[in-house]
Amino acid sequence: MFEHEVNPDNLKKATFVVAIPSYNEADSIAFPVQQADQGIQSFFGDRESVIINCDNNSDDGTKEIFLSIKTNTPKIYISTEPGVKGKGRNFRNLFKKIVDLEAEAVVVVDADLKSITPKWIKHLGEPLFQDFGYVAPLYVRHKYDGTITNSIAYPLTRSLYGRRVRQPIGGDFGFCGKLAKIYLESDTWSEAIANFGIDIWMTTLAMNENIPICQAFMGRPKIHRAKDPGSDLGPMFRQVVGTIFNMMIKFYPFWSNVKWSKPTSIFGFGLGETEMPPPVKVNKETLFTKFQNGFNTCSHIWEKILQKETVNKLQEVRKINKDQFDFPTNLWINVLIDFTVAYRDKLWVEDELLDSLIPIYLGKTLSYVKKTERMSIRDSEELIEEECLQFEATKKLLMKHWNGE
Amino acid sequence: MAKILVVDDEEHIRLLYSEELTEVGYEVITAADGYELTERIDKEKPDIVILDIKMIDYNGLDLLQDIRNKFYNLPVILCTAYDTFKEDIKSIAADFYVIKSFDLTELKKKIAMALEATIP
Repeated sequence: MFEHEVNPDNLKKATFVVAIPSYNEADSIAFPVQQADQGIQSFFGDRESVIINCDNNSDDGTKEIFLSIKTNTPKIYISTEPGVKGKGRNFRNLFKKIVDLEAEAVVVVDADLKSITPKWIKHLGEPLFQDFGYVAPLYVRHKYDGTITNSIAYPLTRSLYGRRVRQPIGGDFGFCGKLAKIYLESDTWSEAIANFGIDIWMTTLAMNENIPICQAFMGRPKIHRAKDPGSDLGPMFRQVVGTIFNMMIKFYPFWSNVKWSKPTSIFGFGLGETEMPPPVKVNKETLFTKFQNGFNTCSHIWEKILQKETVNKLQEVRKINKDQFDFPTNLWINVLIDFTVAYRDKLWVEDELLDSLIPIYLGKTLSYVKKTERMSIRDSEELIEEECLQFEATKKLLMKHWNGE
Repeated sequence: MAKILVVDDEEHIRLLYSEELTEVGYEVITAADGYELTERIDKEKPDIVILDIKMIDYNGLDLLQDIRNKFYNLPVILCTAYDTFKEDIKSIAADFYVIKSFDLTELKKKIAMALEATIP
C-alpha cells in the first residue's frame, strides 16, 4: 500500500535535516545514510536532527532498506505519488517537510555516493549555523567528470550572476530553512526543474536572492556513477540547460547589472591530504562522430537560430580532422549566446532546440578532452578559469544580442 | 579614489607598489605583516587588498580565509613569486592572483577588474 510519509518517531520539529533524494537506490542508499548518521551524531549531536529520504516511490525496496538501517538519528521517509518521477519533485516534497519541521539547516547528499564521510555533513552543515544560507560543494573531480558543469553550468552562472560557484549542480549541498520557503513560493517552477533542473535552479535562486554563499571543501573526490560525457545525455542535458536558459529570461534585471565575478568564502579545510578522483573514461571517437553527425541532423536548426558567422565558423571546425580537432572557446560562447536568445524568442521548438545544442557541446567537450589530455587536474582547472574569464569578457556581446542591438 | 591595502613583508615591494599605484590614481596604504589584519581592514576600510602569500610569519592563504570570512565581498588579489600556491585549493577564495613582477601591468589590470566587479 502506498504511503506518502513514514515517520516512525512521529517527529514534528527538527533543527537540522540531512536529506537523501532517491529513485531505485536500494543497492547504494545504506552507505550515505550511515555516514550521515555518524556526521550528525559527531558534529550536530546537540541539535534536534532527522534524516529524510525523499523518494520517487521506488519499486526496488529503497524505502524498506532506508527504514531498516539502524541509526541514532530519527528517520522520515517521504515519497511522490506512484508513477510520479523526478528529482525536483522529491525536493518539492522535501521543501514542504522542512517548512513543516521548521528546520534551520538542511544538507542534501546523493544516494549513490560512495565517497561520503561524516565530515561532509559537518562541512555542508556548519556554515548554515554561521552567516551562510547556501553551501555548495567543492571537491576534486576528474577532469572529464561533470563536463556539463565545466562547459555550461559553471561559466554561465558565474558570468551571469557574478558568483563563482564551481559546482552549481554538484548534487551535495546545504541550504537554510529560509531558502526552503523561498523555493516553495517561487513562481519559476517548471517541468524541467521538477526533474534534473532542480540543482541549477536552487543555486541560481540562491544567487538571485543574494543569499550569502560559501563553498565547502569536501577533501575526498565525489565518487558516484560518473558517466562518459559522450554517452547518451538525453533529458538531463535538456532539463539542466533549459533551466539555465529559463532563469536567464526570468532574472535578466539581476544579471544585466552584474559585471565580472566574485569568489565565495571557502569552508572546511584541514582534512589532510586531498584524495585524487578515479579516472573517467572518454570515448573520443564517439564525441567526434556525434559532433559530425550533428551537421546532418541539426544544420537546419542552426541555420535558423545562429548568426551567419557562427554557422560559418562551425563549418570550419567541421573540416578539422579528429587528431587536430579544436573548438575555440569564443565560438562556443557565441553559440551559447545565440542559443539563449533563440530560446527566449522561441525561434524553434524548445526540446528540439536544446537537443540541437548537444552535438556542438560534444564538439566543445572533445576539444577540452584533447587540450587537457596531458594536463593535471589543477592545470585543467586553470584552463576552465581562463575560459570563464572569456565568458565574463564577452558579456557585453550577450547583452547586445539579448537586447536585439 | 580607490584605497588599496598592500600586505607584503618585503619593503621594496611595498615601495614599488605604493609608487606605481599612487601614480595611476590609487590611494595606497601598506602593512609589513598579517598581524591583526582583519582589524586593520575594519579600521582602514580599503577597497581592495593585495596580499603576499609567503611572508615570514604569516601564510597569506590563511589570512585570505580570515578576510573572506569577515569581509565577504572585499576584493583580494594574491601576489606571489611562487606558482606552486595554486596547488592549494584555498587560493580560489581570492579574486585573482598575479605572479610578482617589476612590471605591474597585469596587477593593474586585475585591480581594475576586481574594483569593477559588481553584483546587485
